[in-house]
Amino acid sequence: MKPLRTIAVGFDGSDDSKAAVRWAFEMASQVDSDVVLVHAVGLLERARIEEVTAELRETVRRLTGESGFDHARVRLHVANGDPCSVLLRAKDAPLEADLIVVGSRGQGEHAGLLLGSTSLQLAEHSSIPVVVVPSQHADG
Amino acid sequence: MLVINGPTDDSGHQDPGHPERPDRVTAVMAGIADLHLGSDLVVAPEYSATRAELTRVHEGGYLDELDMFCYEGGGDLDEDTYATYKSWSIARFAAGAGISAVDTLRQRNDGVAFVVTRPPGHHALRDRAMGFCLLNNIAVTAAKLTSEGERVLIIDWDVHHGNGTQSIFWNDPNVLYVSTHQWPLFPGSGTPREIGGLDAMGLTLNIPLPPGATGDVVRQAIDEAATPVIEKFGPTWVLVSAGFDAHRDDPMADLKLTSGDFAELGRMAFGFAPRPGRLALFLEGGYDLAALQGSVAATLSSMLGGEYQPESPSSGGPGSEMVFRARAERVLALRQAEEVPTDQDRVI
Ligand SMILES: [Zn+2]
Repeated sequence: MKPLRTIAVGFDGSDDSKAAVRWAFEMASQVDSDVVLVHAVGLLERARIEEVTAELRETVRRLTGESGFDHARVRLHVANGDPCSVLLRAKDAPLEADLIVVGSRGQGEHAGLLLGSTSLQLAEHSSIPVVVVPSQHADG
Repeated sequence: MLVINGPTDDSGHQDPGHPERPDRVTAVMAGIADLHLGSDLVVAPEYSATRAELTRVHEGGYLDELDMFCYEGGGDLDEDTYATYKSWSIARFAAGAGISAVDTLRQRNDGVAFVVTRPPGHHALRDRAMGFCLLNNIAVTAAKLTSEGERVLIIDWDVHHGNGTQSIFWNDPNVLYVSTHQWPLFPGSGTPREIGGLDAMGLTLNIPLPPGATGDVVRQAIDEAATPVIEKFGPTWVLVSAGFDAHRDDPMADLKLTSGDFAELGRMAFGFAPRPGRLALFLEGGYDLAALQGSVAATLSSMLGGEYQPESPSSGGPGSEMVFRARAERVLALRQAEEVPTDQDRVI
């Protein structure tokens, strides 16, 4: 198996996505890899993208600090698109991720909806491994 | 002659504060009224797409789930996309409207159709709603036409890439998908290297444009990059994903088109139709109501041989270089695709 150099984590600021980030930091510490937090910018969010990016940066800083993971190995990647497509592209340049980590539910995702779920869509379409971190890991 | 679809009550598909709202259809209808068409305006019967028509482009499981989601009261499908209790019914009328409009064009063997529907459709994937779209309206009509042996050109001049339409027809040799769109922008797909699947190599054509691009650049993109491919393909029908969010006043993007530019694009689309009665436009985006009204009127007027043009065409923006590069990248991608041993690639 090829070494995990870069782990991409879906990150929308929701509790589930924070749980996924924490899991990715733990994993990255063990296998000595970088972590890229990937945020997808939708049609509506674009209007306040600067504000959103600033908030996300702050959250990333806080999560990194709390976990004790090396700040220098964490990046925030903000890209246009829906979360699923943006994460599917994480395997390509410039990120070249080897693994995708997501929370079980993204922000605004409806609990009853299976086909709309980013994690299931990723599992179906991704050509690199996908880890879905269960909701129980979310603790705010 | 202009054919429009019969009015569907779409007021049940709305979410307070959301830009994809019923007022958009009101603005479009005001634009049509500005043309004073009189008896040249024909209304096609209201029609709800059947399951068989929808499953040509959508997975049955997705349709069931969307139906159930709405039945249970609806909600947010993702950060951008909502559905209400009434959306399932409204979306099926939106998906059927094109079929009805095409039937009317065929009966009369004349005219141009404008399918005034919402929710829009070009982001909707086979198995997923996204980007304000639930069902892929233009794809439902295109798939019906190809099932009858037609060859369909889809021109998508909405400011966003029509990722849903592209992926639905990715491997279909009877559909040529041509899109101009701002780059980078949602949904993030639509590079010139996306050229279609093995059975439809070269039948996806993407021309991304930089923020600030004006109408002359879009015209150049169609003229230089798309026209030769369209002529070689030889469509028997032309469908247009007519979004008007590339207008300079639209809040969703940064292209600088005017209503006069849409008139020019309308003229070009008209020129690609093999004969009268073989061209239908579908409303996609367009969120500034005044820009929408003026742009719809200008587009339809030019197609019908009129002169209504509230703003002159724009020029001088960036993007010429990007169009040139897109052509080069596409040629490279086509060459590389040819070098892949086909039988090896077909092994499943
Ligand atoms: Zn659009």
